[in-house]
Amino acid sequence: MPATLPNELLFLTQHPLQRVGIVGVPPLAVIQTLNTRNIEIFDLDALLVREDMETTLDLLPRVYCAILRTVVLNAIHLPLDAIVIDVGPGKCDAAFHVATILKEELAIPVITTINQDNHPFGTSICRTKLGLIEKMSLITEGVKSAAPSGDYQPCLPEAGFWGVPPRDFSILEHFPATTHIYGWSRCMENKTPADTALEVHCNLSIPTIFFAQTFCAKTALAKHLARRHPRALFLDIDLHTGSSAKAKIEAFLELSGVNR
Amino acid sequence: MILADFGTSYTKILDLDQSQPEPTIIATRELDKDRRVDLATGHNARRFCKAYVNELIALARGGEELIGEPDYLLLDCGSRDLKYVRYQGGQLQDMGWNAECGASMGFTIELLERYFNLDFTSMAVPDRTLSVTCGVLGISSIFDAITTGIPEAEAVARFVKGIAVNAYRFAGSPAKIYLSGGLCDNALFVKSFPCDVVVLGRFVLLAGLKRSLAMNENHYDQPG
Repeated sequence: MPATLPNELLFLTQHPLQRVGIVGVPPLAVIQTLNTRNIEIFDLDALLVREDMETTLDLLPRVYCAILRTVVLNAIHLPLDAIVIDVGPGKCDAAFHVATILKEELAIPVITTINQDNHPFGTSICRTKLGLIEKMSLITEGVKSAAPSGDYQPCLPEAGFWGVPPRDFSILEHFPATTHIYGWSRCMENKTPADTALEVHCNLSIPTIFFAQTFCAKTALAKHLARRHPRALFLDIDLHTGSSAKAKIEAFLELSGVNR
Repeated sequence: MILADFGTSYTKILDLDQSQPEPTIIATRELDKDRRVDLATGHNARRFCKAYVNELIALARGGEELIGEPDYLLLDCGSRDLKYVRYQGGQLQDMGWNAECGASMGFTIELLERYFNLDFTSMAVPDRTLSVTCGVLGISSIFDAITTGIPEAEAVARFVKGIAVNAYRFAGSPAKIYLSGGLCDNALFVKSFPCDVVVLGRFVLLAGLKRSLAMNENHYDQPG
């Protein structure tokens, strides 16, 4: 079973740590502790190293979630003092298994958490007028801070992007700045990653792309929500966004009357 | 104004400045590499055009131009991939582009016709199909079937039917399909679909380009 929160905080408070990797959205108390101690945080879900993905094949199958393959790639190549992996309902079973692997394979402590934070911090980035890549970058950067994301002015949405922050952000480049973000990315900004009601929320009046990483359990939810939405496109992408996926996004937005 | 659909195997060209414009077809490998057209779509288009329309948009606009119904499924079976758009109430409802699992199906069918010296216009649709996920893997299934004593023509016909059934399922198993692309000319392929098929021919994307031009849509200028 994963450690309880006080033990995690005890460890993070008592050990001399300088560089800690995080996976998913660990509880706010963990991030507050790391921030207070000025410990550098590395979001291992993001692309941080330019190493060959094939170097993870000893630890993970090739057919596996690209985000978690990236986590393992970062974990084995970055000089870290510890890793905190959230394995609660706000992440996934696959992360739980990756935590087991990393605990046994790495020489550094790997701490598991179950984040059930339910205090909403707000979702103003998700609803503001800004390039979608910039918005998503702000959200993913925000996971390393215990502070709210800021007060961005809302705009009227012309399109929607539902899903997790993709491994390959080039999927986001064709969307207009008036795209609103939904799904787990919105939960991430809100600092409530296990808020399933917020995760399934979407706007039925705007064309929306429902995205999930290939081999992620969220593909089922994305496909289900897309089927029930009147103007939707379900899209799953693995490591890289291919030309046909980009063309689908471009065509879906243009044929739905969305101006870029 | 010259429009072109630069497919993987064949390029379809329409010169609107001609008094009675008629599309022409040329093998893509025979294209002059310095050739330039005004507006184009297709897998190979970006190298040859001043402005580009992506293939799904061209297909959708072609359907709007050629199909006078609010609800329809338009499937394009080309040399390299499968694409479809589904309209409901005159609005785009769904779309798909299978460039990976649909890889090289059309190309493989043409290759097999030549290799086994077959005439698809005179071949009957077989009762059975080969389970086909892509052209390349399908070839192994054909040779496996032949080694079990199945005649070459029968094995290839089963493969062709497998591809048609695969395309039908990819498009969501509709009751009726409007068919576009090079495989429209393959009678065995068309007859192998387990649903009604309306053949629109090879120039649907050119019709889409014409419509896109008339709608004055944003086209994407090519660098350089």
